[in-house]
Amino acid sequence: MNRKKRKVSKARRLHRSLGAGAAIFVLFMVLSGLIINHSNGLGLDQRHISQSFLLDWYGLAKPENIHSFAVGDDWLSFAGSQLYLNEKSVATISGGVGAVSSGALLIAAGSDELLLLDHDGNLIERIPWGPIGAATIESIGLHEETVVSVKSAGQLWLADTQLLNWRQAYDASPDPLWAVSESAPGGLQQAITASYRGEGPSLERLLLDLHSGRIFGSIGVLVYDLLALALGFLSISGLVLWFRGRRNGKPK
Amino acid sequence: MLKAWKKTFVVLVLTLSLPAQVFADTVYETELEFLSRAFVDSPPEPNLLWLSGDRKSAVRQLLGHDYSALRLRYWCQAGRSAWVLDKIGKELPITVGIIVENNYIKNLRVMTYRENRGGEVATPAFTDQFIHAELEGNNKLNVRIDGISGATLSVQSLTRLASMALFLHTESNCSNES
Repeated sequence: MNRKKRKVSKARRLHRSLGAGAAIFVLFMVLSGLIINHSNGLGLDQRHISQSFLLDWYGLAKPENIHSFAVGDDWLSFAGSQLYLNEKSVATISGGVGAVSSGALLIAAGSDELLLLDHDGNLIERIPWGPIGAATIESIGLHEETVVSVKSAGQLWLADTQLLNWRQAYDASPDPLWAVSESAPGGLQQAITASYRGEGPSLERLLLDLHSGRIFGSIGVLVYDLLALALGFLSISGLVLWFRGRRNGKPK
Repeated sequence: MLKAWKKTFVVLVLTLSLPAQVFADTVYETELEFLSRAFVDSPPEPNLLWLSGDRKSAVRQLLGHDYSALRLRYWCQAGRSAWVLDKIGKELPITVGIIVENNYIKNLRVMTYRENRGGEVATPAFTDQFIHAELEGNNKLNVRIDGISGATLSVQSLTRLASMALFLHTESNCSNES
C-alpha cells in the first residue's frame, strides 16, 4: 500500500514540476495565439518591424560598408553587392571599386565588370572585364578628364568614347584622376541602409514565428515540438492522477 | 540504447542546422573562346546595337519582357554575326553565345549556366536542335525544340534568345554583308 502511495506521489511530483515549467509556455502560446487570431483587425499585418536587432536576426543586416562616389550632381554608392544611384538601387555588382561620369554615361566598376548607366539609373550595358584584362579591376578614373581609364594588375587601360574597345596605355602616359570614395551626405547613407535592408517582416510574421518557434530556426521548432509533447504528457498524467484519486477516495 | 538515441538526436540537429548547398556558376565557354570559334581568323572589332524605339518593343515581344540592357555589342564578319545574350531561366541569368549566318542559326551554345537545376540545356544534344533554325513571319522559330522535363523555363529562355538573336541579326548591319 505504501509502495503504491509512493508511486502516486512521485507521479504527482513529476506532473507538478512539468506543469509549472510548461505554464509560462502555455500562457505565451495562449496570448500569442489570441493576438494572431485578431492580427488583421489589429493591423499587425500592415505594421513592420524596424528594430535593428530584429532585422539582424532575420538576416536583414546593414551593409558592412557604403562606398560612395560623386558622379556629377549624383552619387553612385556600393553597398554589399548593390549599386545605388543616389537612393535608388539600380543594379547588382560585386566588389565595387569606383565610379566616374563621362558625358551622358555613368560608369561603375566592380572587381570583374563595368556597368554603364544613364543618369536615370537605367542599365545600358554590363561589360565583363575578363575578355579585356586578365586580372581584376583595381581602380577606375578619367584620363585627361574624358577618357575612361582602368587600372588592372598595375596596367593602365584606356577606353574609346563608346567604351567599346580598350587599349593598354604606355608607361609614360600621365596618371588618370582616379575615382576616390567620398563621404556621402548623412541622409543619403541612412536612405541607402534602409533600402538595403528592405522593409522588415510584419509584426504578424514575427508573432507567427514566435508562436511556431521558427524564429529560432529548425532547432526552435524541435524544442517547441518537445514542449508540445510535454503538454500532451501533462494531459494524460493529469487524467491518470484524477482517476486514481477518484478511485482511492471511494468508500470501500 | 540511450546512447544511440542521443547520437541520432545530435545528427538530426546538425543536419537541420546545415546551410543550404551553394551551387557555383558553370562556365562552359568564355567570351574569347566563343569568338575564336565564331571567327576562325582573328575576331573582328565589336559593334553596338541600341535597343530603343520599335526595336526595343520587338525584343520585348520576343522575350516577354524588356532585355536587361539598353545596348548590345555584337561581332560581325562576312555576313556572320555573333551575340552573347543573357536571360533569366528560373532565378538566375543564363549566358548564351549565338552565331547567326544568312538569317539562320549557325550555332548556339550555353556559355554560363547558373541555375541549380536544368543544366541539361547546355548539352550539345539539346543545343544542336537550334542549328539551321530561322525566324518565321510570326517571329517564331521554324523548328520544333523538344523540351526537357525539369528544365522548362531554361528551355523557354534559350528558345526566346535564339529568336532574339535572329531578329537582332536582321536589325544589324551584318545582314547586309551576306
